[in-house]
Amino acid sequence: MSVIETVLIYGVIPLAVFVVLAVVTLLPGRGRDRTTYRPGQPWTAQPVWYEPHPGASGVGHGSDAHADVHAAPGLGATAAALAIGEHPHEPHSGLVDHDAPRRTAAGGARGTW
Amino acid sequence: MTKQTDGYVTGRPDTREPVVDESTNPNPFSYRDLARLDEALTMSSKETGLRFTLYVGELGTDTRGTAEGLHGRSGGDTGSSVLVAISPGQRVLEIVTGSVAARRLPDRACALAVLSMTSRLSSGDLVGAIVNGLRQLSDAAGHPSRRG
Repeated sequence: MSVIETVLIYGVIPLAVFVVLAVVTLLPGRGRDRTTYRPGQPWTAQPVWYEPHPGASGVGHGSDAHADVHAAPGLGATAAALAIGEHPHEPHSGLVDHDAPRRTAAGGARGTW
Repeated sequence: MTKQTDGYVTGRPDTREPVVDESTNPNPFSYRDLARLDEALTMSSKETGLRFTLYVGELGTDTRGTAEGLHGRSGGDTGSSVLVAISPGQRVLEIVTGSVAARRLPDRACALAVLSMTSRLSSGDLVGAIVNGLRQLSDAAGHPSRRG
């Protein structure tokens, strides 16, 4: 057995096996590694507010027609044209709306992690 | 512009790394994640008759007050709307229910959903937490009554 044969059998074949396994295991998950959130790191993205499709909500009261009337200046106009990924509402510096007409919250829960 | 005030060597190209990585997508979610979020929001709203909205972003120092303010401005019928507000930077999750929604979704059901969401959020699974939390909330709310 010549030197070349020895190198081929004991060097190249194990290397080829490693390469094949690496390709099989690493390539499929490569594009999905976009976990932009890790606990403890600051959240730098802009605030986004998602809402369901207009026709989906509600049995008797799903229309966005009176969204403009009651509250939310600026939201009702964009609510109908909202698509995936669009920013329906981007709060400015004043996050807390002090001149909200009334308190609408009746319950809920909060949690931290 | 020959004079640089920060002491970098003039006449040479600036090879410093940017402090803020601007190459990343400004949208925090990929399109696949957005599709999952959209389906979760739409299906839970359709199933329950309530109006679920999802807010992801900073909530300020008074997180509860900010979330309730957002709920008041969420448009539509605020009484039957449910706001899920997540501030990943502050590690705070708030669920706000309106007056009609609170009858179908008592605070205990919300707390249960919050519990399962926070356990996922602490492991970094933001989208999974949202989708499963919405599923749990809509399961707890059930179908709307057919009386009307």
